[in-house]
Amino acid sequence: MSEHLPNTFYLDPEVLHKVSDLEVIAREVVEGLRVGSHRSPLRGFSTEFAHHRQYSPGDAIRDLDWRVFGRTDRYYTKLYEAETNFDCHLLIDASASMTYGSGKVNKLEYAKFLAATIAYLVLKQRDSVGLSVFDSEVRAYLPPRSAMGIILQIDRLLRDIKPTPRTSLAKQLRDVALMMKRRSIVVLISDLLTDVDDLLAGLDHLRFAGHNVVVLHTLDPHELAFPFKGTWKFNGLEGEPPLTTQPEKIRDDYLASLKTFLEAVRTGCLGSHVDYTLVDTSRPLDAVLSEFVFNRQT
Amino acid sequence: MNFVNPWLLLASLGVALPILAHLLNRYKFNETNWAAMQFLNREVRVRSRQIRLRDILLLMLRCLALLLLVLAFAQPALKHATGFVAQLGERRAGVIIALDASYSMQHGDGKTTRFDRALKKIETIAANIRPGDPVTLILLGDEHRVVVRNMAFVPERFAEILRAQQATPESLDLDSVPRRLKELAEDMVAPQKEIYIVTDLQEQDWKNRIAWGELGRLAHLCIVPVTGDVDNLAITSLDLVSGVLRQGTVARYQVTVRNYGSRPATNVKVTGLVENVTADTKIIPAIAAGGSETVSLFVPFQNPGPVKITAKLEPDALPADDTRRAVAVIRDRVSVLCVEGTSGKSGGFISAALRATGKTAGQGDSTVESVSWVSLPAQDLTKFDVVILADVPDITTDQARRFEEYVRAGNGLIWFAGDNVKAAVWNERAKLKGTPLLPAEIEQPVSTSDALGVGGALDPSLPDHSVSRPLLSLPEDLLSEARFLKVLQIKPAATSLTVLSLAGSGAPVLVEHSIGRGKVFMFTTSAGPTWNNMAVTPIFPMILQQMVTYLTGREFEKPRLVGDSLSLAYVDQPNASDAVFDTPSGETITVPVREHRNQYVALLDHAREAGFYLARVSVQAPGLPVAVNVDTRESNVKCLSDAEIASTFAGTGIAVVRSDTDLLNEIEQTRTARSYWPFFMLAGLLILVVESLFADRLCRRTQNV
Repeated sequence: MSEHLPNTFYLDPEVLHKVSDLEVIAREVVEGLRVGSHRSPLRGFSTEFAHHRQYSPGDAIRDLDWRVFGRTDRYYTKLYEAETNFDCHLLIDASASMTYGSGKVNKLEYAKFLAATIAYLVLKQRDSVGLSVFDSEVRAYLPPRSAMGIILQIDRLLRDIKPTPRTSLAKQLRDVALMMKRRSIVVLISDLLTDVDDLLAGLDHLRFAGHNVVVLHTLDPHELAFPFKGTWKFNGLEGEPPLTTQPEKIRDDYLASLKTFLEAVRTGCLGSHVDYTLVDTSRPLDAVLSEFVFNRQT
Repeated sequence: MNFVNPWLLLASLGVALPILAHLLNRYKFNETNWAAMQFLNREVRVRSRQIRLRDILLLMLRCLALLLLVLAFAQPALKHATGFVAQLGERRAGVIIALDASYSMQHGDGKTTRFDRALKKIETIAANIRPGDPVTLILLGDEHRVVVRNMAFVPERFAEILRAQQATPESLDLDSVPRRLKELAEDMVAPQKEIYIVTDLQEQDWKNRIAWGELGRLAHLCIVPVTGDVDNLAITSLDLVSGVLRQGTVARYQVTVRNYGSRPATNVKVTGLVENVTADTKIIPAIAAGGSETVSLFVPFQNPGPVKITAKLEPDALPADDTRRAVAVIRDRVSVLCVEGTSGKSGGFISAALRATGKTAGQGDSTVESVSWVSLPAQDLTKFDVVILADVPDITTDQARRFEEYVRAGNGLIWFAGDNVKAAVWNERAKLKGTPLLPAEIEQPVSTSDALGVGGALDPSLPDHSVSRPLLSLPEDLLSEARFLKVLQIKPAATSLTVLSLAGSGAPVLVEHSIGRGKVFMFTTSAGPTWNNMAVTPIFPMILQQMVTYLTGREFEKPRLVGDSLSLAYVDQPNASDAVFDTPSGETITVPVREHRNQYVALLDHAREAGFYLARVSVQAPGLPVAVNVDTRESNVKCLSDAEIASTFAGTGIAVVRSDTDLLNEIEQTRTARSYWPFFMLAGLLILVVESLFADRLCRRTQNV
């Protein structure tokens, strides 16, 4: 499919080639139109007939093909090619803190590539994908669709993101939850640099709405290791007062605070049945995605 | 407070470096936008401020340690410290000990010498020097010799060095002592400098002579006298008076003995030795106090070659000046070429004069060959030791050059005036390029007779000259028997000496100058009786033989004094690049041969011993003895009296301490400076240790946190 990919900015053909065999799996029950790899709770109509299979006890009576029974006196069950699909909703944190990057790509750019690639994977398995971008408020909302054309809209939307400082993550997640009509897989891509309780409250909103929530916690390697030497002045990206210090001497304090934070987020996600993956932006995108999909399958 | 090394205080500017580094670190920082500010929370900010405060504290400790170390290296000292401040410092001084090592210090009383007593005094001074203090020991003499310079004092090592010292045969050059001591004092680094001069305070050297100048401002000056008895006899001269120095002849040497003591000396025995074998002995019945007596020693010469001649006294309180040495080179024969300008009588007179022999003279010790001046070009000059040119009309430039080379090689030339001499031609052709052949420019003949027709008498202008010396021993009437009616008027060259002149007018009669290793004598009068009657008087053979002896002598026959340089001159460039001098004590000194004014010379700068040196052109070559005697100026061992000491050193700030008690008191009173460098060094190192421990503890605490 990649050879027929429209001209997009955030889809790297090389990465797509590496992740083309991956399949995003909705681990729990999602509301889909078809029955297939994702079991649908709804009894909807079929989409496209595939072939017949001899009836066996336990098969739904309504799937019996009575015309064939009339002609052959045998019970056959109709099978459909397309099974059900799921909605995948990508939430991208476009707050100012996401603009930090120690390397060539900052967290936001990395998140955009990540989102575009996941969107491609979801569309490839004929599921629907939607996108929401938020910072201090929800800046854009693209409802899930399964047509490949949506990839262009997603790409355009990702290009237009202009980061601003964030106030509360919970509010934005609640707003997004309200916008979503069906139960979906919600993939939150964010550095989660906010109050842990606020974050968990937001995630709970999504969970309560029946969404299957996946958190891709995106952090820069410098944020994870704090490798600075000498005297540094740190200017907060979200309006915090600056700090001039010798990072070497406070590294242990910093890493301890970071560890506490990460532990709290991980524990909170576990408690809320939210899939949590820490993403180091220095790692290759395909490796991160492979690991993420593998975790979901297992 | 003053500093021994004040310039090192500049290093205190180095304190600015850690401060500068700190400020640079503080104000020159990297800047970054940062997302995870929530982890740089209040606690971290407080810790940052604590770290900054600790850094400032560590910085201050480092700066303080640095300052204290700089102060320690600058060696602060206080001249007059009291109380607690005095307790913090150590009494330190740099000591320069100047030991008079001139040979008068060898004067003894039968048990100890002045030098032995001087060493005892130095031991007393050394007992009060702290280990580690800088010490300089210098031996004073004609050439001052620094034994140790700014040595960190170690008692055992210094005592060992002191025991190895001996008095030298040199005299004391006191005039250069203040300058030398000033150099040493300026070179010494110490909070307080002290100079001790241990000397016998010889009257002739010290009495009202020396100006110590600014030396007193540099260091505390203290003189430690080691005086003694004044009795001393010395041989002050040993000179050849007469004799032709040929094999089988006897020469007369004159020995002068001086009594420097305060009492008359009686029955003074003088022994003459030739090659350490007694040749003659004389007894001087009495020598008055302060007076001199002269005796003649007759020395026979049995064999040709260099002969070592020694005159000795019986040993007395100062043995160094009881011996005098000379060297004579005895020839078996001397060849003289007499070139006559005319077929007159001058050649005959010269031959007769040179062949005139006494009853002790060997038969045929001089050969004289007379030739006419026209046959001069055919003569091989190398066969002759001396050439006499008598009334030769002129000379070619080539002949002049040949004579110049002949004389430069060490031979002699005697030139006589006469009626035939063409002055202008001689002046022109004898001029040569460098040194002229003749010692004077010839002008016209002038009459020196008075109105009665009586010529001028002879006057030895240089009484100490070898040619003049026998004339002085002649009776007055015999000397004045020779009369000169006419002499050439001359213009002597700057390098020439007038040996004989006419009494009254002072007109030069005999002029001398040196060319290379040889000499040229120029008579302004004739050899024959045309211009004078000298040729028919006994003076003529005397002068002529003395001149030939003098001209055939060698440079190294002239005795040297201790401290003089010894030279060995070569005619041509030698094969060996080094000459060898064997000292009287048996040491062998190798001296490089250098080219100097077209001559090759090996020069031993400073003869340090009295005795016979042996100069050799190479290690394998036979040696030529050179006599080296002590300078008898040092023989007057009379010391300054107490009154003279008081007047000499009044107002100079120089302390004179006689007894050991006075010496110890002087050291105790004057050594007041205290050095504080150990205190500052200790404090600096202590703070460095504290700073290191503090930094280490902070580092560990940070890691634990």
